[in-house]
Amino acid sequence: MFGEDKAWARCLKRTAVCIAIVIAFFPIFWLISTSFKPIDEWQKFPPVWISSQPTLQNYRIVFAPKAAQEFAAKQQGAIGYKVSGSAWKAFGDSAVVATAATVLSVLFGTLAAYSIVRFHTGGDSYPFQFLMVRIFPPIAVVVPMVILFSMLRLSDTYFGLILAYTAFTLPFSIWMIRSFIEEVPEELEGAALIYGMRPLQAFLKVTFPLIRGGVLATALFVFILNWSEFLFALTLTTGHVVTVTLQVANYVSASSGKLYGVQAAMGTVSTLPVIFFGYIIQRHLVRGLSFGAIKR
Amino acid sequence: MVEQARSPAAPRFVMRRAYRTFVPFNVAIALPAQLTVLTVVLVPTLIVAWLSLTDWQPTQGIPWYQAEFVWFWNYYDLFHDARFVAAVVRTLLVVTGCMTVEFLLAMGLALLFLDDWAWRKIAVSIIIMPMMIVPVDAANAFFMLFNDRGPINYLISIIIGRPFEFAWLADPNWALLPIMLSEIWQWTPLMFLLVLTGLMNLPENQIRAAYVLGASRTRIFLRVMLPLLMPVIIIALLVRSIETFKIFDPVYILTRGGPGAATETISMFMYNGAFVYFRIGYIAAAALMILIVVVAICFTLSRPLKRHHR
Repeated sequence: MFGEDKAWARCLKRTAVCIAIVIAFFPIFWLISTSFKPIDEWQKFPPVWISSQPTLQNYRIVFAPKAAQEFAAKQQGAIGYKVSGSAWKAFGDSAVVATAATVLSVLFGTLAAYSIVRFHTGGDSYPFQFLMVRIFPPIAVVVPMVILFSMLRLSDTYFGLILAYTAFTLPFSIWMIRSFIEEVPEELEGAALIYGMRPLQAFLKVTFPLIRGGVLATALFVFILNWSEFLFALTLTTGHVVTVTLQVANYVSASSGKLYGVQAAMGTVSTLPVIFFGYIIQRHLVRGLSFGAIKR
Repeated sequence: MVEQARSPAAPRFVMRRAYRTFVPFNVAIALPAQLTVLTVVLVPTLIVAWLSLTDWQPTQGIPWYQAEFVWFWNYYDLFHDARFVAAVVRTLLVVTGCMTVEFLLAMGLALLFLDDWAWRKIAVSIIIMPMMIVPVDAANAFFMLFNDRGPINYLISIIIGRPFEFAWLADPNWALLPIMLSEIWQWTPLMFLLVLTGLMNLPENQIRAAYVLGASRTRIFLRVMLPLLMPVIIIALLVRSIETFKIFDPVYILTRGGPGAATETISMFMYNGAFVYFRIGYIAAAALMILIVVVAICFTLSRPLKRHHR
């Protein structure tokens, strides 16, 4: 844009980028590296950067209940049952809750977005009402939600968590899909209507195929949010439903505090799907995180 | 509803068919989303409003709707609660601090990526990795990094040339720093991505013209690019400051608000109050107050977003 840089300026720029990359990657590197360290290297000083005797012990503790029990038996002092529980349930629960909430959120979101764009439902400020949900600090509604859920017998159930996740990701779904629908000319649907289709049919058969990629990106984006959610999982469950984020916080022993390696192993595994999905929708991340305001 | 549906933006031929049903079609399809939001947000807000006028604590053994009515005493107490005021001030501090650092870093980084070079895409992909990670895991990584025997202290001890074992998270004066750094580390990439997108979308002609006319780079940046970039910057700062204001995960993982109450943000204060001390009525008052303030602020600030969406 500005013409050519001088050689030293370019060199300086590249160095800055390299430093940024190192800083961005270092904590992730540390998480992965710690997950392969044997127990005596977790807190060694000077720190062990890459273990010379890498072990899968931490991953075994996470995934094989037997290994976890053996590990718990070897530790001095009491260890809560949580350490010996396996992470499979957490992954299962998270998959169920995050997937169901994503499907509901995107389904409701698509319908609402269609209504907003094509029918101008509720006027100009209607969509902003949904944005409010995202602006509310969730902790402020968590307290009454706990009360409400216990009255409706929803606390510590899959459905309760799914409901909460759906509601709190709806703003993203609606605003993101809305921005996709807005890019499809209205006349296409109009033509379909003239040929005798019903409105919903016209939307599903004409517009939807055109925004399918965008809806899929929205779904993955919402899934990432649901999968990473912590506060609702922490407050709305009491042990029956366990999500991966809760499970990460569970690896604590009474005698030695946080079990660094095990936590790191669980953290690494639980982050992988999210990073994978994140890169799939990298092109759409900007749109999602700015509620469709900034498009590529 | 019907009147609004007739507004010029709605295609008339669509509406003619939709009127036949009991609930207008456009309203009906917006209902699932609306009802979900109502159950999970509006109803709890009403409960919070009621609770904030009572002194209910679950340990009292009476249902919440029978709790003793104390009018506005909770609010009175809140304003005189140094811990709450400190939490509010601290949260604002975290928001301003994080926003400033994130924005400057993101702007600087984005400017480095203006011209095309080999590996550019891969470099961007690596730099935005932090924002993809589960926040709880990121916080855990920072917990390990800032351990008194962790790598950060080791690096410092190399730089200053003598052993350095400082328990960052146990020191009331410094414990907030790792929390803020973790937040900044995780979300600068987002700001970077937003600013970079904005920069790439700038009309190149104007910048070229300024360059040909002999304006210096600094001048082009300040006088041409920055004003053009303003809407994007405002949206990025708005979105990020709303999210940072709610900051909870790193605080919970790193310190749980401690030592003492030295790192309590608003969210952490409310969590501790409700789920550790069980002072529900009191926390409900805090929650309602925060809700009102946040909503009021956002109504005034949401104008740029509104304008940009047109």
